[in-house]
Amino acid sequence: MENKVIYIKPNRNAEVGAPDVFLKDIASVTSTDEHLTAKAKALKVYQFREGQEKRAVISNLKLIELLQGLEKGVTVENVGELDTLIKLVKVPEKKGLLVWCKVVFVALISFFGTAFTIMAFHNDVGIHDVFGRLYEQVMGVSSNGFTTLEVTYSLGLAIGITIFFNHIGGRRITADPTPIEVEMRVYEKDVDDTLIETAEREGKTIDAS
Amino acid sequence: MLLKRVMLGVLGCSFGLMTAGGVFTVLLAVGLIPRFAGKTHTGNRVMLYETMVILGTLTGDILSVFEPYTHLGTLMVGAGVPESLWRIAGEAILLCYGVFSGIFIGSLAMAIAEMLDSIPIFARRIGFRHGLGVAVLAMALGKMAGSLYYFYERMYLFGG
Repeated sequence: MENKVIYIKPNRNAEVGAPDVFLKDIASVTSTDEHLTAKAKALKVYQFREGQEKRAVISNLKLIELLQGLEKGVTVENVGELDTLIKLVKVPEKKGLLVWCKVVFVALISFFGTAFTIMAFHNDVGIHDVFGRLYEQVMGVSSNGFTTLEVTYSLGLAIGITIFFNHIGGRRITADPTPIEVEMRVYEKDVDDTLIETAEREGKTIDAS
Repeated sequence: MLLKRVMLGVLGCSFGLMTAGGVFTVLLAVGLIPRFAGKTHTGNRVMLYETMVILGTLTGDILSVFEPYTHLGTLMVGAGVPESLWRIAGEAILLCYGVFSGIFIGSLAMAIAEMLDSIPIFARRIGFRHGLGVAVLAMALGKMAGSLYYFYERMYLFGG
């Protein structure tokens, strides 16, 4: 009998819509035998119970254990993550009023917060004083507070942040992701890592027996 | 005269570019907006938030750099808006500004403290296990009390 190999590539983070979690929901699967692949994909790895936490961390050793139980003498190769965070989410996520309120709320914080930050920064460095003196040094006459310097500074600021954030309105300047998009992924990854490590420390990880 | 003007223009432009870089790197390093987006599950709207950051900065820039020329109240009343109406509108704008910039700065302060690991290190040193929620609440109340006291006593008058 030839030796059958199953390759699995579990994700770090998987969102499922139903309480029954199958292997195909949390990992990509392939194997030397088509029949075996189908069987492995439909393998139930976890079930969320009513009133239980909507989050679970599963060690992928558990997956290997379950897969080996499928057929005798099967080898499992893991080419993905070592732990997977499974989240149960309600599928038809309503695009209701609440979501809009949240978006407006965060948008307003972003707007007024940064407006305040830049004003406070200008106040801190005493921009009127700096620009007034520089203007006098260069031009030899005193500044009236509305000169080339102020206008070009504001222009430069606008160009600078537009280049930095890499988009004008909804249009990207280059194909790169914007810095906040990058930061968003980093943040999500950190959160996932924390949840996985906390589960491990509290012994809540679903592990091979 | 023209040459001097060109020089001022070049200087101004480079000041602006560098300030943009500096200020936004700090804001980004703290990672505040991703957090807000993550908490509200609106990560797909990040572009909008960035646009608001850009617009907010420009508004703040115009209001503070051109300060003697952007007295909104005087401008509005001069343009024929009834003073009583502008009183209400102005109050509303100030209210928005206060609430939202307050939230932003409050989060920024805590985010910086967290980024510098001061809270985790402190919690570890004193063997903190429970009651982190109480500590955080106490910090929030402390910030609020400090801020109110600062303004009530007009401490900004003798600040340095």
